[in-house]
Amino acid sequence: MTTEASPQALRESLHRVGYIADEALATTLWLAGSLQRPLLVEGDAGVGKTALAQALARAEGRRLVRLQCFEGLDLSQAAYEWNYGRQLLAIRRAETGQGGGAASDDTALFSREFLLQRPLLQAILSDEPCVLLIDEIDRADEAFEAFLLEVLADWQITVPELGTLRARHVPRAVLTSNGTRELSDALRRRCLYHWLDYPTLAREIAIVRATLPDAEGALVKQAVAFVQRLRREDLGKTPGVAESLDFVRALHQLGHQRLPDEPAALAHVLACLLKTREDRFQFGPERLLQVLEGRKAGGDGVAVKHATPLP
Amino acid sequence: MSAPSLPTAQPLAALAGFAAHLREHGFVVGVAEQQAMVQAALRLPGALQQPARLGEAWRAIACHGARDWRRWPDLFQRYWQPHRSTGSTRVSGRTRPPRDIRQLVQQLHESLGEGGTKPGATAADTALSDSPAEGEALSRHQGGASRTEALHDRSLHEWLPQDLALLQTLAERIAARLRRRLTRRWHAHPQGRRLDLRHTLRRSLATGGVPVAPAWRQPRRERPRLFILVDVSRSMETHAQLFLRIARAFVVAAQARVFVFHTRLAEVTPLLQRDSGAVQEKVNAVTAGFAGGTRIATSLDDFHRVHARAQLGRRAEVWVLSDGFDADEPHRLGEELAAVRGRGARITWFHPSPAVPASAAMTAARPQVQRFVRLASLRDLSLAADLID
Repeated sequence: MTTEASPQALRESLHRVGYIADEALATTLWLAGSLQRPLLVEGDAGVGKTALAQALARAEGRRLVRLQCFEGLDLSQAAYEWNYGRQLLAIRRAETGQGGGAASDDTALFSREFLLQRPLLQAILSDEPCVLLIDEIDRADEAFEAFLLEVLADWQITVPELGTLRARHVPRAVLTSNGTRELSDALRRRCLYHWLDYPTLAREIAIVRATLPDAEGALVKQAVAFVQRLRREDLGKTPGVAESLDFVRALHQLGHQRLPDEPAALAHVLACLLKTREDRFQFGPERLLQVLEGRKAGGDGVAVKHATPLP
Repeated sequence: MSAPSLPTAQPLAALAGFAAHLREHGFVVGVAEQQAMVQAALRLPGALQQPARLGEAWRAIACHGARDWRRWPDLFQRYWQPHRSTGSTRVSGRTRPPRDIRQLVQQLHESLGEGGTKPGATAADTALSDSPAEGEALSRHQGGASRTEALHDRSLHEWLPQDLALLQTLAERIAARLRRRLTRRWHAHPQGRRLDLRHTLRRSLATGGVPVAPAWRQPRRERPRLFILVDVSRSMETHAQLFLRIARAFVVAAQARVFVFHTRLAEVTPLLQRDSGAVQEKVNAVTAGFAGGTRIATSLDDFHRVHARAQLGRRAEVWVLSDGFDADEPHRLGEELAAVRGRGARITWFHPSPAVPASAAMTAARPQVQRFVRLASLRDLSLAADLID
């Protein structure tokens, strides 16, 4: 339950729980804690946005409260809801004269006892500091985003029947977004911002090593280098870190000591990396061999497309 | 509102200058962000030894999106280490005082650090809000792209204010007409009507727990997301200005995203958000580096692959304002348009010519376009207002 004293210390404790953050990310994360501001992380799918919040929770020994956003998410699913069933029961009980007349008046019916806590309220009312992960905020509606402003700026939630509930401990909030919708400026301005890019070769090797310590060094190096080369290709769905982990895991479990040279051996493992029909089609044996050997694409590659502009 | 209690307003002024520099380049950096930047400089251990780390911290504060994020390293270096950046920055007349980030942090600590961080922040606040050096800093940095010929001589000076007002009302009318579409989850439901349990029970409390008046969930309809691609190539020179005016009206009325292209594509939405006579010049500055010619297919490719990749969906509406003369291979335009269509977007093509464009590329691409609309004047737009839904 400690907040690290410096970015470096935070980076090391993240490392200990298996998340390899670069210096900029660690600095931003530390600053978000220091300024008590939420952190908005954007980036392509599979670069480790959600994993960041999970790792932060583990590194600081906090509980992780997760709110997965989706289209149509409303307050009753995100913040709180009255437990109508119990309220009705209490009314019935009061009518039949059982259970004392406690539930007969309004204030008793709308007390904390009958309040169902959803993730946001859980994070606010938590007795110990926690990490609040609001995942894929861009999938939620604009109305919900507006509601979040109160929570993220003042760390409070207003329940009309109860009044305003303030946070006992300011949670460390991490918001992630894939950019399916442009977020409002108001929300962006309340958050610190970090763009999470695909990791560099060295960092990705470190990530894979940390997650799969059993895999052979040569295999990890070659496989990660292969994935990095693949990312530079013109793909419909660029493989993320999670995909390269799957890829190395699959190769490791199939008993490979190093990345196989011939495309045929790779063909079925590629299902871990290439996830659309077009991408699979594009990467036939010859094309695959080219990427394996690190050659640039000939013919109608991307490089050619942007060559000499026509007058 | 002066801040006489501050012995050295220098670091704050330098920071305010940096904020102004960022604002000039389209960042949203207000007093709150500047305060946070001061806080970061004071709190971050080792900021003095490693200015780069402080830069990363400021990046998290000042950037509000991926676009800002990509532009940051260049802007940061240009301001703090102008001697290192090559090209574009030009100092004219007055020489600038040396800017050193270490010095800045040092001075910040000296002037604000000892009084605790909180009072420091409020002091910074007042000093920042009326920093006298800000304007100076603004004028100092006039580097960047040069403003070249192209379009601005064909101005719309003859437009009367009421024409502008008319354009705005037209844009609003069209934006209101853009058909609101059902969100996905409601299409899937056969009845389209579901009991809203929460509301029903809430209402039933009034009747002692008996749900007398059930509440139903309402299907939601949402406006489409509008993307406007404006061709600003030579062949469109005479029309581009009108098109940009119109595009601006839709930025205001329907939160459209606007792109300009001739050989490459660039987003100009932030430039159009504020109404000023200099819109055209700003757009010229963006497109100045482009070579002559029109590459519609390449630009479209860039558009759906990079810029609007995540936002092109079933609710997207793409308007292309172009004459359809494309220097790319004729078959590519159709392919790229098909790719945009493939994401679920609907395409409307606005052309200035009386007839529908009939270049080789356009003939091949025609099946992909839902609608062709003529647009050469304000009158055309008012006619189009009835066609668009």
